[in-house]
Amino acid sequence: MTGLILRTVVVALFAAIALLPISWMATMAFKPPAEWTSATAELTFLPKDPTWSNFVYVFTGEVEGQIVSLDRTVWWPLFASLLTSVIGTLIAVVAGTAAAYAVSREKVGGSIGLSLLQLRIFPPLAVMIPVMIMWAFLGMIDTWWGLSLIYGIVTLPFSFWLMKSYFDELPREIEEAAIVEGCTAFEAFYQITLPIVVSAVASTALFIFILNWSDYLIALLLTRKEWTTIPVYMNALATAASGQLYGAKAALGLIAAIPPIILGISIQRFLVQGLTFGALKQ
Amino acid sequence: MSYTPHTGTADALAAQRRTLARRLILPTQILLVFIVAFPLLMQVYISLTWWTPLDGTLWYSAYESWNWFDNFAEIFRDPGLHGAVWRTILFVSIAVPIEFGLGLLLAALFYEGVLARPVFYSLILMPMMIVPAVAGYIFFLIFQQTGPLNALVGIVWDGAYQINWLNDVNRAFIAVIVADVWQWTPLMFLILFAGLMSVPHDQMRAATILGANWRQRFFRIALPRIKAVIFIAIGLRVIECFKIFDMLFVMTSGGPGVATESLSLYLYKQTFQSLEWSYVAAIGITVLVVLSVIAAIILTRTSRPSNTSEAS
Repeated sequence: MTGLILRTVVVALFAAIALLPISWMATMAFKPPAEWTSATAELTFLPKDPTWSNFVYVFTGEVEGQIVSLDRTVWWPLFASLLTSVIGTLIAVVAGTAAAYAVSREKVGGSIGLSLLQLRIFPPLAVMIPVMIMWAFLGMIDTWWGLSLIYGIVTLPFSFWLMKSYFDELPREIEEAAIVEGCTAFEAFYQITLPIVVSAVASTALFIFILNWSDYLIALLLTRKEWTTIPVYMNALATAASGQLYGAKAALGLIAAIPPIILGISIQRFLVQGLTFGALKQ
Repeated sequence: MSYTPHTGTADALAAQRRTLARRLILPTQILLVFIVAFPLLMQVYISLTWWTPLDGTLWYSAYESWNWFDNFAEIFRDPGLHGAVWRTILFVSIAVPIEFGLGLLLAALFYEGVLARPVFYSLILMPMMIVPAVAGYIFFLIFQQTGPLNALVGIVWDGAYQINWLNDVNRAFIAVIVADVWQWTPLMFLILFAGLMSVPHDQMRAATILGANWRQRFFRIALPRIKAVIFIAIGLRVIECFKIFDMLFVMTSGGPGVATESLSLYLYKQTFQSLEWSYVAAIGITVLVVLSVIAAIILTRTSRPSNTSEAS
């Protein structure tokens, strides 16, 4: 019993350490400029004078008392993040699921699985020069389709390996029975097998959406202004305006952080699997 | 005699399924060729020239400044690159063991049982769900000279003691390690805990009945059984940690000076500040070759069938 309480106390301590930094940013988002640093006021955890002005500022571009008005509000980056993440996820999930089924059932494609894994091993910056040249050549820099396409490609390894681990578990007898009943091979895949794994497809899609939404580097390299995503927009805010806009950036950070947290907790049981490419199940 | 057509249809069916498989795999194959084959050729081509985007010529006329392997020779003479590589290796070899230790401790605590487990489980996973760039900003805020950490230190140590965290070479390095450990210990915990949960309960119970204390149960029974899981967890973290960019870029931009400049940050600066794209291409190829060799060595040494079956 004492052991149980002791363990709980230690774990609670870890949980506090996990939460405190996040909540510091969260409360910062509701603080007026005077409370941002201890240079101007004594620091408190909770805002002494809570305000929505940081959010108003990033959404409308202007707020009383802020030094500069924004030339660009958060609406468009928010839309860009959402659009490119969703399309990227669609590309990865559709192509990955189809390929995973093909490899799982017919062993076609040689070592395509390993080639896909290699995509994840190398530091993106070591291979991005030709990609940037190619994207420029094809007119895909700073476009929603260019960003979506690369998101779909870099998350393809996850959807392929995850879905393959599911298809491998399904007995092929189900499809064979369906084919004997008169289905074509495609109908057996589309109408019999796919509905069985549909929840796995959904979890995979949510997981990949989180990855795409969390990207910073690729958007930094392949967008200029029009289609920058939230993390890039957020980090550029300090240089665009005079001085550090701690509160406004914290508000942006919060906006960027909330969707992955909600989705992440909702697919909590799936995370182990997702992060280990399906090698490990919970 | 009526059975003979049956084999014929079976063959036709097998052929039909194979055709379907070839079609289904096609989009992925096209995407792979698109992102691997062509860029790789281009990268090798450019790396053998002096071409930079400042030349005003397009990449395919890079042959005008052909230089064979000068860029690769430069790799051996570039102290900036060597520094970044060693810094990255140092960073990985400090951060990953700490993450592993803390993650294993947490997993063991959860495995032995804690109150309100689902609640704490979700809370502890929180940091790894934060967008890495945002995590970088969070720790940028925390390590400010006028920030909360110094305010806390001030309370404990009495007085306005202000530590310069991110502007000091050593402290900045510690700060980025702290940030990385904060964000990725949950990942270690998540994987290791899942591994521990897969250890058969009856074995643990049998050991308890036979008088084994928790230490023996944990180190003698549980740990050896999750070797493959440990390998996966550490492997994943080493790979990801080696690539680290987002968090560092937001938190310190590699500064002060080059104190927290990782390999990825160095490549970024070469790409966008020095614009030496042919040189960056050469470094990229070298990195690819070195990592492939290392990965091949690790895989051939560890991929025994017993490992893979344990992992699933």
